[in-house]
Amino acid sequence: MSDLVKRQTMVPAKPGASETKSAPSLREVLAFSLADDTYGFPLARVREILKLPPITPVPRAPRFVLGIVSVRGVITTVVDLRRLMRVEERLPEKHARILLVDVGGEVVGALVDEVQQVHRLAEDEVELAQAVGGDLSDHVIGVGRPRSKREVEDAGRELIVLLDPEPLFARIERG
Amino acid sequence: MSELRDEFLAEAQEIVESLSRDLLLLDQAQKDNLPSQELINEVFRAVHTLKGIAGMFGYGRLGEVAHALEDLLDDLRLGRKVLETELLDVLFEGVEVFQRLLAESPDVEVSEVDVLGFLEELTSVGASRPPVEDELSAYAIDTSVLAVLTEYEEHRLRTNVAKGVALYRLKVRFSLTTIDTQLEDLKARAKSIAEIITYLPSSSGGDGDAIDLDVLLASSATPATLEDVLGGEGATLERLSRGTSPATSVRSTEHHALVPPAPLPTPRPTSAPPAPPRAPSEPPVARREVTADQLSLRSVAHTVRVDIRKLDHLMNVVGELAIVRSAVMRLTEKLRGRPELRQLAIDLHRINRGFERHLEELQDGILDVRMVPLGQTFDRLARIVRQVAREHDKEVQLVVTGAETEIDKLIVEELSDPLMHLIRNAIDHGIELPKIRESAGKPGTGTLVLNAYQKGNHVVIEIEDDGAGINPQVLVETAIRRGLVTEDVAADMSRDEALQLIFLPGFSTRTKASDLSGRGVGMDVVKTNIGRLGGVIDVQSEVGAGTKLTITLPVTLAIISALLVRVGGREYALPITAVQEAIVFDPRRVRRVEGREVVTLRGETLTILRLDELFRTQSDARGGRRYLVVVAVGQKRMGLVVDGLEGQQDIVIKALGKSLSRVRGFSGATDLGDQRVALVLDAPGLLDEVHSSTERTLGEGRR
Repeated sequence: MSDLVKRQTMVPAKPGASETKSAPSLREVLAFSLADDTYGFPLARVREILKLPPITPVPRAPRFVLGIVSVRGVITTVVDLRRLMRVEERLPEKHARILLVDVGGEVVGALVDEVQQVHRLAEDEVELAQAVGGDLSDHVIGVGRPRSKREVEDAGRELIVLLDPEPLFARIERG
Repeated sequence: MSELRDEFLAEAQEIVESLSRDLLLLDQAQKDNLPSQELINEVFRAVHTLKGIAGMFGYGRLGEVAHALEDLLDDLRLGRKVLETELLDVLFEGVEVFQRLLAESPDVEVSEVDVLGFLEELTSVGASRPPVEDELSAYAIDTSVLAVLTEYEEHRLRTNVAKGVALYRLKVRFSLTTIDTQLEDLKARAKSIAEIITYLPSSSGGDGDAIDLDVLLASSATPATLEDVLGGEGATLERLSRGTSPATSVRSTEHHALVPPAPLPTPRPTSAPPAPPRAPSEPPVARREVTADQLSLRSVAHTVRVDIRKLDHLMNVVGELAIVRSAVMRLTEKLRGRPELRQLAIDLHRINRGFERHLEELQDGILDVRMVPLGQTFDRLARIVRQVAREHDKEVQLVVTGAETEIDKLIVEELSDPLMHLIRNAIDHGIELPKIRESAGKPGTGTLVLNAYQKGNHVVIEIEDDGAGINPQVLVETAIRRGLVTEDVAADMSRDEALQLIFLPGFSTRTKASDLSGRGVGMDVVKTNIGRLGGVIDVQSEVGAGTKLTITLPVTLAIISALLVRVGGREYALPITAVQEAIVFDPRRVRRVEGREVVTLRGETLTILRLDELFRTQSDARGGRRYLVVVAVGQKRMGLVVDGLEGQQDIVIKALGKSLSRVRGFSGATDLGDQRVALVLDAPGLLDEVHSSTERTLGEGRR
């Protein structure tokens, strides 16, 4: 019975799904650092930024799963983005944060070294993956090059690797 | 709108379920040759109500089907059609059609359901009955009374006359203020000895405060008995005999003027308000329903329908409160250590205990609301039994016991599919054709027993048939042929182990899939689904005598009592229902039997599982002392080796994210307070792992 009811009331709400790909001119990106590089998630997908809570490890889970935390009663999986991206590992430091990212159907926590800022990238500031060429992983949407004055000091930071959460986090389930 | 629709769906579902129940009773009554008029009315009312509310909520197709079905039932009620098996089949099919229509959106252009086909079937079914010869005219009933009888009342009157049942007229005087209760009281008293055909306000009397009613009765009881039961102050009973002239002249036009103002305009069948499913005690078509609306209002006032998610939310709040409580408890303990605050600590402790008690009550209350009797599910199964048996030309008698056993609503929802599958299997593969049964010296009619009972914190459901049974030898051969086990392993299998083969994925002994059981779901799916509910399934079978499947389930999933254990510095929760005992683990008593570690506990061999090894952590046992927790679900047992026991706590199990769905060994996680989260161990899952890996190592060890 309640099955029926559920079926009737479940409104498929997937906010932000595919927003990044169809966004007209400006892309809002939350930039963060991981090792020496800068990455970005579509801002619309980032639900929240957490300071590091105690994480409960999950035995037998894939290696890049740090464990679980309770976010206001909802059990949330936390992933070590360094491990997932195969970047050299390091213990989280003072500025480490967990980004709660909406992966469509589930909110997953991603441990990053440091949150930088939100960038509004115009179309000409983004190079899509197919334009960049080479074999980029399917979780890379493209590369952003903000014309920001503030980051001029460090040439390496001028480049933001734009990540697509869905294919990236699909790897957790596959193990 | 969607909330209203939910409400409608809930109510419609309820009506359809009660309809299905009544049809089963009617089916039985028809087999026993005792068709009950009351049941036919009940069914008619259900369909009528459904029609009414379907129209209001835009379920046009459903309304149409209900309307056509209502017509058929009306014919049945009025004796224009005969109750027979084919007609019952169509009625049962109606239930299916309703359910399928309820499952789809009313707004779809083209329905998946073949409504037209069903409607056609409806019109063609059922033999007509020749009209009964008219004997009514011989009776002293005023023609004006006859003129206002509904068709149904007239039919009842004729039927009684034809059967030679005596007719009586009872005159009673009721006060206008209490007429409802008095009338109900009269109906109740009359029920066992007489049938009330109609009651009309009498022309003879009634002042401003009272009204006289003429009640037309049919009864086989003696006038003296009738007088005893129905007589009283202001009541006179008169037998109507053949050939006497009308005793009173009743003019119908005046009656209606005398009827006290009804709270609502008398309902017409075509635009009936959504009456609650079981409310009116009279058919809705009766034109003098003075009391029905008030009655129905009264009966609905005591129940509310609640979305289970709201209960989940409440349960979460209770869980949070429990966390607050333990925080207060810890503070109290701290205060205790300070001598100057001792008294304060004692007071606080007492208050906290009171809080705890009320919290427990609250929790029990919410749990209680979530509980529903298994009978709801069993009713649905009874229909399947009838249908499957008919399709297979098998005779099956279903015996249900323990339908009142209660279980969490969420579990019930998830249970119907597995149960349905098991029932189909039992009839399809288990119970033999009548001829075969008879030649085997069994009664031609097979018996399917559905039995439920509560056992501690578990509910046990047994499905037992007296059919052909399962031959373990055949299972073993099939399993070898499918490459599911090696011959070596098979050679050493015990009878029970062989029977467990039916739960292996990819196992089916039938070469040709029947359209009933062979729908791609095997017993492995049934087992998985039951495991997901924290339950287990066991099978016992005797060739020639029958098969018994036993499902053991927790009573609720919402909140459970758990034993907290420590492994490698982390806490894990283990549902207490699965824990038999916990003892100090003595590593010296561990023996290796065919590649697995076992200990002997009170003469029984127990396979042990070292959680620190499984979880690849470092044991943090204090002083080297570890514990062995004996876990049992259903018939299976094992011992879990843990580093420490951290006490017992009520926990709310929460699901792990989808991303961790493939991680085995955990059924969820729980908040322990202070941001601590503990994983909940999946006892049935771990048992399964231990036992299946045992079988594998068994095969390897033997050489």
